[in-house]
Amino acid sequence: MAVKALKAVSVGRNGLGAFILQCKRIDLHYCDWAGSSKGMNGFIKSLLPKFAAAHPQIEFTVSPRPSKHPVAIGHYINGREKAICVRNMEPYEILKKLELLRDANGEKLKKLSKNVTSINESVRGVWSPYHGNGLQV
Amino acid sequence: MKRLRVERWTNQLLTARSGAAGGISCSAPRIRCLAAAARKSLSTAAAESSAPVIDGLDNNPRFPPLEDIPPQAATLPSPLPERALQSAKLAALHARLSLSQKIPLQTLARTLVDASADSHPRFNNTNLAFVGQTLINYHVAEQFMIQYPRLPMEILYAAIKGIAGDTSLYHIAKSWGIESAAAPGGEVDPGFLQYSLENDGDAILFFGSVRTEAKYLDKYKFRRGVSSRVVFDNDFGDRVDEFAQNIEDDEGASGDYGSAATRKRAEKAHANHVRAVVGAIYAHCGRDAVKAFVKAHVLSRKLALDKLFYFSDPTRELATLCAREDFEKPIARLLSETGRLSRTPVFVVGIYSGKDKLGEASAPSLDHARRKAAMNALKAWYLYSPGENARVPSDMLAEDAEKWEPGYIDIGEIITRGGNFRH
Repeated sequence: MAVKALKAVSVGRNGLGAFILQCKRIDLHYCDWAGSSKGMNGFIKSLLPKFAAAHPQIEFTVSPRPSKHPVAIGHYINGREKAICVRNMEPYEILKKLELLRDANGEKLKKLSKNVTSINESVRGVWSPYHGNGLQV
Repeated sequence: MKRLRVERWTNQLLTARSGAAGGISCSAPRIRCLAAAARKSLSTAAAESSAPVIDGLDNNPRFPPLEDIPPQAATLPSPLPERALQSAKLAALHARLSLSQKIPLQTLARTLVDASADSHPRFNNTNLAFVGQTLINYHVAEQFMIQYPRLPMEILYAAIKGIAGDTSLYHIAKSWGIESAAAPGGEVDPGFLQYSLENDGDAILFFGSVRTEAKYLDKYKFRRGVSSRVVFDNDFGDRVDEFAQNIEDDEGASGDYGSAATRKRAEKAHANHVRAVVGAIYAHCGRDAVKAFVKAHVLSRKLALDKLFYFSDPTRELATLCAREDFEKPIARLLSETGRLSRTPVFVVGIYSGKDKLGEASAPSLDHARRKAAMNALKAWYLYSPGENARVPSDMLAEDAEKWEPGYIDIGEIITRGGNFRH
């Protein structure tokens, strides 16, 4: 009757070992005719080639969406997506929005109250009232 | 209602019914004919009527076809290798994994074709996955054996499976952003993982033998001891025919997310993809790159080894250990308590061997605390580690490796005798 084993599955920690960028695809939609797409069209012509070349790990798709406002949609590894309407924006404003999409991890925005979160055990251990010499009152 | 713009549909979606073709203007029926193989089996009339794809895109420069799919693509079980160069998904995956430029996209595309999608071993990932699984399992096993030399065999098996088993590798594939095709086929983008939910494929990926008494193992609950698992079973101590046996039981009731069988097949296909990527790295970049990759993607994952232990009689096992190692007999001592009549009593019990404290635990009853303390003492023994920087055997394969100093090898796990003695 020796020791028996239980089942467990390892947990990944992105960035420890390898880092995988969480944004996997960005869809860019534009309209040839509408004025709100003016900046987007300029962005696609002038800035997108450089931005896409700098981020080979993101798949870029560009497709027309006639009679609609231009939009940039980021798709993330966790399966969620984040869409930003970029109507009437200048090309460099759109670049900022794309950087935002690139840097996001796809999760819902939430307030983090702790500076550090970790799945590791505390190095110090948890304080115990049953140990130590106690306090004389 | 919006007008459908048929001319903007991609090629493969334009599957016309026989007779419906006349309704759509068809200037250059480029993909009119099926592949020669398919055509042979059909009569002329059938081939004409089932010509599936209509192409009206060539004359519209504003809306070029998304991708030029070769004419015979739809009849193939998996995408042609040369299409890998046009897939944006594949290029993105290559960059996301920071793979070396030595690994061509065609090889990466091949790692995404499971044996259940394409049974031809020159086009599926079986061979790469086989190389990959030996490498992953080797690196994981040597890491555990050197870093935790006292792990009992059962725990070692569970640990290797927890890090390098199908489920863990499935999570790795998911964390790489691998998407799978709804159904495998020659026309899908080569950047999708392709596997079949209906069949298992005939890939043999693990070493191991099927026992002569395999049929009766479950029927009569034959014993399958650790020694026989070492000899017969695969790297995780599982029977090599276990997957095929279990999948039969899991067929049937399928809900929104498929049945247990389809989930297992998906898990296995994703895991084999990860193994095939490792095999591809070995084929193109060599063993150092593989070691770095396995360390970065597989070994960096966290597995709590102390949560794997299940003790049936820890106090007896500890007593046996102390007898074996010539320690003094273990004695449990009460260190402190909140008071037995308090509302929530807590007892802190330490286990001592002579003057050495072997373990300590707190629990709401004396017996529970003593057993927990014995478990902690045993875990402290089993989880002895020479440290993070202990060298593993594969370190010696480096050119300028220093002289090998043998790692610590334990005499083996504690074997408790029968009987009913308690300390």
